[in-house]
Amino acid sequence: MTDILARRTLEKPADEQAIEDLHGILDQLWLDAAFVPALDQMAFTTAVIEAASNVVQHGVPEAGCDLLLGVDLTVAPGRLRAVISEIGAAALDPVPDLDGPPLVSDPDELLEDYDESGRGLSMIRALVTTVTVERQGDTNVWVLSRDSGAGN
Amino acid sequence: MEFTTQDKGRYTEVSASGRLNMVAAPKLREVIDEVVSGGGKRIVVNLADTSFMDSSGLGALIGCLKLARQSGGDLRIAAVQPQVNMVLELTSMHRVLTPHATPEEAFLND
Repeated sequence: MTDILARRTLEKPADEQAIEDLHGILDQLWLDAAFVPALDQMAFTTAVIEAASNVVQHGVPEAGCDLLLGVDLTVAPGRLRAVISEIGAAALDPVPDLDGPPLVSDPDELLEDYDESGRGLSMIRALVTTVTVERQGDTNVWVLSRDSGAGN
Repeated sequence: MEFTTQDKGRYTEVSASGRLNMVAAPKLREVIDEVVSGGGKRIVVNLADTSFMDSSGLGALIGCLKLARQSGGDLRIAAVQPQVNMVLELTSMHRVLTPHATPEEAFLND
């Protein structure tokens, strides 16, 4: 059993206010886990907000359901973990392409081909060590984890 | 997020204070659209007080850059903080929106 050194949770209707509240929850997490290196805090925060924003922007509620955003953030020795739940959501179809668009090198091409939503998913992939998305009952569950020197 | 706009003579400075996320991104587009509609050609977005930016915020900045260029102007960014810089480099967008140390330096050589 892994020791949990800090934990914060949130469950709210999946709307813009939930994202603002999640920023507050993350700030509180880092107050409790100030020993986590700044780079890890920054990268993990960015990935969590990206994934939660994806739920708010693109989540589709199952017929007759209200869409909820659930977030469980934990800091354990060597690992930061976020379980982001899209509760009451229709199954993801297609499952998000977590590899995102290929990188291009020409700045003009970069500007012309900029794809906002695809960029968010590829950012998540780059910011965490592992990311998975799976269906559990009426919920799509994103699990993000980042290896960190925290708490070792 | 709060936006303030100042005419600095050689350029228009838009200061963005707070988190440039999916909530604030549409507001940034509105502010820059207003500057461009008012004839602003050179725009500097001062990010000194922007503590966080996600892909929505970055998308808004890129959209604003395109808008400024389409109207014959340009948009540049200054005083970028570490998290914003991380997002720019991660997406290679620092090559399109190159950060300047201060707003004054953004159009210094133009």
